[in-house]
Amino acid sequence: MAGAIEFSTRPLQQGPPAWLAAALDEGALDVRPLLAGGEDPLGAILEAADGIGFGGFLVIDAPFNPSPLRRILAARGFSSYGRRLNGGHWRIYFHLNGAAEWEHDSDVAVMDEGAMVWREEDGLHIDVRKLPQPQPMRAILQLIDSDPALLCLVVHHERNPHFLLPELAERDWRVVRVSEEFQDVRLWLERGR
Amino acid sequence: MMFAGAFMMGAKDRLLPPSVPFRFFAAAILYHVAGWAVLLWAAADIPGHQGGLGPVVAGLHLITLGVLAMTAMGAAYQMLPVATRRQLGPAWACVLSWWLFVPGVAVLSLGLAGGQEWALQGGAALTMAGLLIFAILVGRNLLQVSDLPAVSWALWIALAALLGLMALALALVLDVSLGFLSDRPAVIATHAVIAGYGFMGMLVFGFSSVLVPMFVLSKAVPDAEGKRLAAVSSAALLIAGLGCWNGGGWGAAAGVVLGLAAVALYGLAQRRVLAGRMRKRLEPFFRLLKAGWVMLPLSLLAALALALGGPIDPLAPLWGLLMVFGWLLSFATGILQRIMPFLASMHSGANGGKPVLLSRLTAQPVLTVHAVAHGAAVLLLAVAIVFDLPLLARLGALSGLLGALSFLAFAILMVGRYRAHDRSS
Repeated sequence: MAGAIEFSTRPLQQGPPAWLAAALDEGALDVRPLLAGGEDPLGAILEAADGIGFGGFLVIDAPFNPSPLRRILAARGFSSYGRRLNGGHWRIYFHLNGAAEWEHDSDVAVMDEGAMVWREEDGLHIDVRKLPQPQPMRAILQLIDSDPALLCLVVHHERNPHFLLPELAERDWRVVRVSEEFQDVRLWLERGR
Repeated sequence: MMFAGAFMMGAKDRLLPPSVPFRFFAAAILYHVAGWAVLLWAAADIPGHQGGLGPVVAGLHLITLGVLAMTAMGAAYQMLPVATRRQLGPAWACVLSWWLFVPGVAVLSLGLAGGQEWALQGGAALTMAGLLIFAILVGRNLLQVSDLPAVSWALWIALAALLGLMALALALVLDVSLGFLSDRPAVIATHAVIAGYGFMGMLVFGFSSVLVPMFVLSKAVPDAEGKRLAAVSSAALLIAGLGCWNGGGWGAAAGVVLGLAAVALYGLAQRRVLAGRMRKRLEPFFRLLKAGWVMLPLSLLAALALALGGPIDPLAPLWGLLMVFGWLLSFATGILQRIMPFLASMHSGANGGKPVLLSRLTAQPVLTVHAVAHGAAVLLLAVAIVFDLPLLARLGALSGLLGALSFLAFAILMVGRYRAHDRSS
């Protein structure tokens, strides 16, 4: 629940890499059961990584930030982006692109709907990509409604959220700026003053 | 980088121009008035009506095709690409379907009222051509969808039902000239089941799983629940359809019982959606949705009594009333009164200005008149049918016409307020 998360005390984050949008479609290889059973998942992960072609993605769910693994895969040309979903659950996205941006992390909060929220220098960000309708609108409005002190919000969406506009207008919020990349439409929202 | 005004015009996922859905909605509102006017004219024939050509059947089709199917087409063209996140198809094809369907419904209704063969066949051809384009556009969209079974499974069943009901409609129209059907009442009953519960009903089930959550700001119906509902519904439709084709009896009754099970699943899913909603106060349009949800199982109970050998008079006209006017028309007008101002507000923000407020566009008093008049119409007609009271049927149809005119007033006021906002911004 977003309202229960204290975002102001969290460290500022860098935004996700541009390639993340495409990686969100990939299913995750969850190695937590292997680790819980005392097995080393490295073999399974490397086998999976061997099957990835240039430009492809590999997603790993782990109970901690697997820094050694990330360096091993960086040596094989994988960039990685890690998200701590909660205390004991990290999701690491690997992208085989020559390790151009080899390691990149975010400490995100995950809302009920699956939306991810974090802070950057320009304010609070919410990523609602890949959520089924109407979860994106619900997550954004929940965040806005839960905090009267929130004045601006940056939304990461995979397309223009046309249906959000009437709801924003009813709440005296508006879209002040938009940037549009492939599968990453960003909207800067502001509360009316 | 672009600013807010420009982003709505982005090419990648451009919405259909507002003229596309609104031309369907405008036609639906006018046919709503026309349908009730024809029923008022023929009100004395409603109690005891057994089917057959005449103004009652014409009025019925002005409502089923002119209001229900028309609303479904406009809403699907606008909402389906957003729900599925896939392109629908060219706007000109949507417009072409309107140009075929709108005159088709008028000409077909003329033929149904007077029995003119040219009007029956010409109207049916135009209507079916419009519906076929709709089916192709929706089918093309659904072919690209694998991640939204609660919507896509129900809509696939609706499209299959559409093809089935059109085949039966064609047979019924040609039978007027050629007289080849050995059991015309059974074909009419099958056509009604597939059209009401199959085509329109599955559209209601499919769109409810995403539209209702969107309106109340709740989570969508889970995939597993949507699949289960679609599976039970399709079995119910198949068994009930075959049962009707064979003249009713236990086969049809078994289908109706399965239909009641599907309705229970649908009701539970919608209840969970409402329980998890963010918008605590339900908006007034929900009165009609809830009324429709009550009428749906009542219509099935009437169908069950009919299938088990209950008297055709009054059960057959009562079943039709509960299904078409009690359930589907209540649901469609409820959705229409929410979706029209919503889309108008959304499109008003497309030029970069502040969107006109949804609440500003909704003239609630006239909608309250509509809701009361519509409810009174269904109630009066039901009593008139059960007790064979032509005068009460006329009062019921008059009340329905008053409701339809109120709905027209709501639409006119909405357009006026939209234009006033447009001029001032």
